[in-house]
Amino acid sequence: MLVVPCPNCGPRNASEFRYAGEYRPRPHPSQDVTDDEWATYLYTRSNTLGVHTEWWFHTSGCGLWFLAERHTKTNAFVKSYLWGAT
Amino acid sequence: MSDPTPTRLPERPGEIIDRTRQVSFTFNGEIYPAHPGDTIASALSAAGVRTFSRSFKYHRPRGLLCGAGHCPNCLVQVGDEPNVRSCQRAVEQDMDVNPQNAWPSLDQDVMSLAGLGDRFMPVGFYYKTFMKPSQLWPHYEQALRNAAGLGVVDQGTPWGAYDKQYLHGDVAVIGGGPSGISAALEAAEAGANVLLFDNGPQLGGHLRWRSDSDDTSRKDLLEKVQSARIEVYTDTDVLGWYQDNWLAAVRGDRLFKARAKAIVFATGTIEVPTLFDNNDLPGILLGSAVQRLLNLYGVAPGRRVVVVTANRHGWDLAADLLAAGVELAAIVDERRTRDHPASVDLAAAGVPIYNGSALTGARGRKAVSAAVISEIDDSGNPIGPGRVLSCDTIALSTGWEPALDLLYTAGGKSVYQENRAEMSVDPVPDGLYVAGSANGADLLQARVEDGRVAGRLAAAHLELTEPPPQQELDKLALELSKEERRTSDRISAPDGKKRFVCFCEDVTDVDVDTAIAEGYDSVELLKRYSTISMGPCQGKMCSVNALRLCSRIKGQSVQETGRTTSRPPTTPVYLGVLAGQNMEPVQVSSIHDWHLDRGASMMVAGLWLRPEHYGDATAEVNNVRNRVGLIDVSPLGKFQLTGPGAPDLLERLYINQWRNLRKGRVRYGVMCNDEGVVLDDGVCARVDDDTWYLSTTSTGAGTAFQWIQWWLQSGWGGNVHLTDMTEIYSAFNLAGPHSREVLRKLTKRDLGNKAFPYMRIRRTRVAGVSCRVWRIGFTGELSYEIHVPSSAGLHVWEALMEAGGEFGIAPFGVEAQRVLRLEKGHLIVGQDTDAMSDPLGADMAWAVKLEKPDFLGKRSLERISVDGPHQRLVGFEMTRKHIVPEEGLQIVKPQENGKLNIIGWISSSRFSPTLKKSIGLCWLPSDIGSEPGATFTIYQDGRLEEARVHHGPFFDPGGERLKS
Repeated sequence: MLVVPCPNCGPRNASEFRYAGEYRPRPHPSQDVTDDEWATYLYTRSNTLGVHTEWWFHTSGCGLWFLAERHTKTNAFVKSYLWGAT
Repeated sequence: MSDPTPTRLPERPGEIIDRTRQVSFTFNGEIYPAHPGDTIASALSAAGVRTFSRSFKYHRPRGLLCGAGHCPNCLVQVGDEPNVRSCQRAVEQDMDVNPQNAWPSLDQDVMSLAGLGDRFMPVGFYYKTFMKPSQLWPHYEQALRNAAGLGVVDQGTPWGAYDKQYLHGDVAVIGGGPSGISAALEAAEAGANVLLFDNGPQLGGHLRWRSDSDDTSRKDLLEKVQSARIEVYTDTDVLGWYQDNWLAAVRGDRLFKARAKAIVFATGTIEVPTLFDNNDLPGILLGSAVQRLLNLYGVAPGRRVVVVTANRHGWDLAADLLAAGVELAAIVDERRTRDHPASVDLAAAGVPIYNGSALTGARGRKAVSAAVISEIDDSGNPIGPGRVLSCDTIALSTGWEPALDLLYTAGGKSVYQENRAEMSVDPVPDGLYVAGSANGADLLQARVEDGRVAGRLAAAHLELTEPPPQQELDKLALELSKEERRTSDRISAPDGKKRFVCFCEDVTDVDVDTAIAEGYDSVELLKRYSTISMGPCQGKMCSVNALRLCSRIKGQSVQETGRTTSRPPTTPVYLGVLAGQNMEPVQVSSIHDWHLDRGASMMVAGLWLRPEHYGDATAEVNNVRNRVGLIDVSPLGKFQLTGPGAPDLLERLYINQWRNLRKGRVRYGVMCNDEGVVLDDGVCARVDDDTWYLSTTSTGAGTAFQWIQWWLQSGWGGNVHLTDMTEIYSAFNLAGPHSREVLRKLTKRDLGNKAFPYMRIRRTRVAGVSCRVWRIGFTGELSYEIHVPSSAGLHVWEALMEAGGEFGIAPFGVEAQRVLRLEKGHLIVGQDTDAMSDPLGADMAWAVKLEKPDFLGKRSLERISVDGPHQRLVGFEMTRKHIVPEEGLQIVKPQENGKLNIIGWISSSRFSPTLKKSIGLCWLPSDIGSEPGATFTIYQDGRLEEARVHHGPFFDPGGERLKS
């Protein structure tokens, strides 16, 4: 089982977490967002082969939402951090 | 009376049976004696039993073959347990053992006439023979299953007690033979916490049964293990490697989930059979099986043995047989050299020795009666007429296959070593190490040394010690490269005789040849088409021979042929062990026991157990409409937001407006995601300036909490704090025309319509307990929702029931509530909406405030509002008033050609006891749904039923009752 690095709790089993997909910055709807841009935000995923940034939630743990950089082929985590940090 | 154990030998050094005691068990209905320590197979062998089972396809008699728990030949039924490896299972008093796959008896099997089977069951027969006509396939399949069954599953077997245990170590060592023990000791010495797994009953590996070492080596190693920091797990099969060094292992009824930072695979070797005519006859055993019988259980494999070998192990075995007084018919060695130390004694004892010769066939009907051998040329092909040796046992020791399956599941890549005719792994993934005979080491000293180095490397990987100097590694590599070859790759070309490659699935070399000729010439296709390596042994006995055969037929190297993918479990495992305990945790409210005492029929709703009704849901509906009812709504999600940032957050989470909500007021709210899909709904109250209290659906509470947290923790969390109050508060809804009178008896607060109107929240003492009381109305009646600290839940509930006695109060359940809300036309998120439902279509356009600068779903709802929703959620009534269409049914539109187009679906439907007619909610195309009274057609059980669109509540459309 994959070990996921929680920034609060350290390395824990993946079964404690909810995976919430690739990180996609949200365009602010008050600005002019075209239909295409909005549809891309909603439905398009980069499907990266390599390191990408993704959301995790520590469901059976501290309740933290955090970002992690993980290699999609090897599953190796590069780092994990709170939103707004890098 | 004849001797019941004719092949039990006098006491052997190192044997593990207790000859001072005797137990008895039955096999095939007859009683057999055994000693404690015996396996079923060893006890049967001591009694001279040769046939253990019938084969899968041809029902040929099969006897003990590998003696190591790999092959399918000795599978038996023990009581209600099928597929027990009799060579591994210890005998117990009164054990009821039966053969499998034999009818009417082991001795006279009708299906073996399926020597007939030959013609009717060619390779790929599943795909060829039984395909047409296809409607008969279920019958074919049933007949085939019966003919080819592996044991009988007793459906009445009680649920077993299975559990699991988590293990944590620095270094895990798989295999407790000399190399595994050395690796464990070395890693422990460096300071690592070591987990050591072995599938045998004791540590020691081959030292337990092979006589190439003196017993002191084993005792010495075991003593060291006991004093070191090593957790030892014997009788434990490691099933697979998973991500991040996570091992699944099984001991009896327990599943271990073990995590280690480094792993040493000291998994040993598996002795493999070879191909010759009739190579499946009972009486043909692998050399290691014979040595186990001799040295662990004091049993002779037969009376007259031919040893066939291509390495030193066969000579060791011959020496053991000689020492045990078993007659040796011959030693047949493919090699031309004769340098084994025992050869002098064996020759002196008059044992015929044939060098440069190989076994080409066996003869016999129910068991071996003779071995056919022949001299071979340098390519391994037989020359000359051959020679027939009378015997009752053939001991085969011609090849070993490193047990690398686990390492393959860990990502190790296989490389075939032509010079040794064995697989190896290169490269071995980081943090994983392979040691001992699995790594090609054969002599005891080399195994110990190889294990020691692997243990050191594992400890160095954890930075507990320095890696061994390169010099030492080079020296070991050189030593290993000088190891004598132990495996023969001689394989004869298929010539029509019966030579079994795969014992599990009865696949012969001719079948492999045919499959390749039919075009299934890549190993993965060959496997699937011929079913080779897909049986209980999972390729342990057959895969290397299949590869050699395949490469010989195709004229390519074994490396080019490749191998099939190894997957866990590498050893058979009970499904019960994987399933674990039958645990389905549920959440219950603070008054759960009260519901049970009142005979409530409970239902599962999300994680919760809730009363569905207390006997008569219709009476409960009527009681709420006419008098007063009380429902436990504790599973509602309840969240508190505190801080001046709360309104900002709410404005973004909900489609509604919040900033203008005044203190003490309540508003219905809907949450969407950015696709504009409805996620949840509920009420939200401003308790005071900076405190907001909101509820969500019962089933969506967990998801809603995570959802709000997500936005809170990614930029929208300024000056606001979220608290989950779901379990802190119990919640009861008091509903019905008499609810005010009931509540008035328990509180001093003015409940008049002016002081406490509809859609307000008040902090109120109820029966002496400080509660939050909402005046809201899902049921459409005057009602109060009382949120009480859970610790006082039962007290307040009982006080309400007592106070309501004079007004005819009765509890009501989820079913009555569903009817009551449907009469009001209220939707339930998740019941009446799905992952496609937007609030504009779901009749909630009034709540959508597109003028807000931002909220989740805004951009998508703007887009949808341009053309309007395609589908609308509306009420309906049936033309035939008593017909209640099932929820989920399709709404159809008959076409001119008579076909039906699906245009919508029924999301809720009930018979309304209040209105005495069938009502419901459904999704319809906007043009039909927008027109009250428009008719449409529901498809139910092959009939078409007519229904009419209805807008607004079915009951009390003006809402006078809830505002009364």
